[in-house]
Amino acid sequence: MDDDEDEFDTSYYYDNNDDLDLEKPKKSDDPEYFEYELLKIEDVERMLNEEVEALCTSLKIAPSLAKMLLHAHGWRRSQIIERHQMNAEKFLVESRIVADKKNISQVQFIFSYGGGDRPGCFLLQEVITGTTHTCSICVRELSKSEFQSLSCHHIFCNECWDMHFGIQISKGLTTGIECMGSDCKLLVPEDFICSILKDPSSREKYFKFSFSDLIDSHSQLRFCPGPNCSIVVRAKEPKSKRVECKSCKSTFCFRCGIDYHAPTDCDTIKKWLMKCADDSETANYISANTKDCPKCHVCIEKNGGCNHMQCSKCKSDFCWMCLGEWKTHGSEYYECSRFKENPNIANESVHVQAREALKKYLFYYERWENHAKSLTLEEQTLKNITTRIEEKVMNNEGTWIAWQYLLKAADLLKKCRYSLQYTYPYAYYLDRGGRKELFEYQQAQLEAEVENLSWKVERAEISDTGELENLMDIAEKRRLTLLKDFLEV
Amino acid sequence: MAGLPRRILKETQRLIQEPVPGISAVPDENNGRYFHVVIKGPAESPYHSGMFQLELFLPEEYPMSAPKVRFMTKIYHPNIDKLGRICLDILKEKWSPALQIRTVLLSIQALLSAPNPDDPLSNDVAEQWKANEQLALETAKEWTQKYAKDKKNNIQ
Repeated sequence: MDDDEDEFDTSYYYDNNDDLDLEKPKKSDDPEYFEYELLKIEDVERMLNEEVEALCTSLKIAPSLAKMLLHAHGWRRSQIIERHQMNAEKFLVESRIVADKKNISQVQFIFSYGGGDRPGCFLLQEVITGTTHTCSICVRELSKSEFQSLSCHHIFCNECWDMHFGIQISKGLTTGIECMGSDCKLLVPEDFICSILKDPSSREKYFKFSFSDLIDSHSQLRFCPGPNCSIVVRAKEPKSKRVECKSCKSTFCFRCGIDYHAPTDCDTIKKWLMKCADDSETANYISANTKDCPKCHVCIEKNGGCNHMQCSKCKSDFCWMCLGEWKTHGSEYYECSRFKENPNIANESVHVQAREALKKYLFYYERWENHAKSLTLEEQTLKNITTRIEEKVMNNEGTWIAWQYLLKAADLLKKCRYSLQYTYPYAYYLDRGGRKELFEYQQAQLEAEVENLSWKVERAEISDTGELENLMDIAEKRRLTLLKDFLEV
Repeated sequence: MAGLPRRILKETQRLIQEPVPGISAVPDENNGRYFHVVIKGPAESPYHSGMFQLELFLPEEYPMSAPKVRFMTKIYHPNIDKLGRICLDILKEKWSPALQIRTVLLSIQALLSAPNPDDPLSNDVAEQWKANEQLALETAKEWTQKYAKDKKNNIQ
């Protein structure tokens, strides 16, 4: 602490700022606030069983049927009950649970071993009149008791059913297994499968896969995408908000299950990621990992998250993104995040337009990719900070507790950079106009703050606590303002 | 042909006793699951008068899984690629154990009469088919004359 007065000034200034705000924003203030709970498999099973039972009692139907209806109609119970009451038979036929009576008497059996190629008509009563029957699939004559059929009356022997289920399950199908009759779309209920399927490993797979099918069909539930994680997230509203799994620590979007992507929405980020996957070769080639110093032209590799670069040779300060002088990057003039479209583009040739389109994409891609890289480099920064704190404490420069603010700052920096990364796909797909201008203005403001913070975090001393906390507060406020204005859920 | 399921034996027997018009399917001497197939190009199609060789194989899980079928004769068709692989729904997701070898072969014969360029396997052929159908039909005819008349031109 070489300047007491300065230190006093900043801390005085900062005490007025509620910095608890930074840790836990209030419900109404925080655009990222989301209510959800993390459930274990047993809890989910109990919850789903309760829903199945509730439907059973209100419709007076078997549990396996209720389960099929819930799965087919996204677990919207009131809607199911309503449609069932309107016309139960029609509803069950449409849900592929009961065969349409019209079709049963005239089921066309292409499979016939005698009498030309004309498909024979098939009637259950006509076929099984004696004590034995020939299975149309394995062509074996077996006792009548060896056969079963669903309501469609496509009758096959148990052994063929068993093989059919085994093959379908090995292909990953469970709740979607259909009857073996050609062109028959009737779904096979769970209890029918269980009464026939013998192989224990197939049975185990069936239960495992059908359970995850049920979760997928339930709009309030989502499996944690973390590797080997069996946590299920439950949220009342299926919004694209951030969820953090306490068990495996992965964070993801509740609605689509991929990495959290505010302020970009689920469809846009998917489109963007696909585009990046398609075009990455070109983009990678063009945006190489190194750049030359704009002044002394020495080759520079970026080794930290901060975009404010200082050439180690000529000591000039410049911006990694635009290679312009850093001095011009005050918050008001920060324009590195804004793509300047050619105003006369409509009059140009197709060739020029294509080149301009690529230029625009590369502009956003480069920034998106740069933040992604910076984020991984920030991990390195975090490690460096930990060792630096240890050194400082050993040299009696501040206590270990006093230094912890730096880790908090690095953590916040990561959060801001993350949001910033996901602003670029949003901006890319945003139409030109006032809203885009506002968005890019706020984005630029956040960029500037993040760079300030990044620069400071890498170089902070113990006496900088106040200044750093100020920067943290501003950066987080900018981030929340942007999300509040543009996060549409 | 011992050890083959009854279903396959029955089907083979009938294929030989009551062959489908325009199609011959003969099991291999050493492997009852492998069939040498010849389909005659349907009249009023660009494949008319061609003799198309195919191979058909019944996998272990047959009839729970579909037979594997491939053209051995080069053919210009939007749903058949240059390796002779066929894009046909009943060979994939629409397969049902209630279908048979003969229904599959009949479907392939029908595909020759009615190519479907909207569900292509061979993209460049399909594009040509949509852009200039007349020219595509000419090419198909040419290929039929060139490749489907002589066994030596089979795809290996």
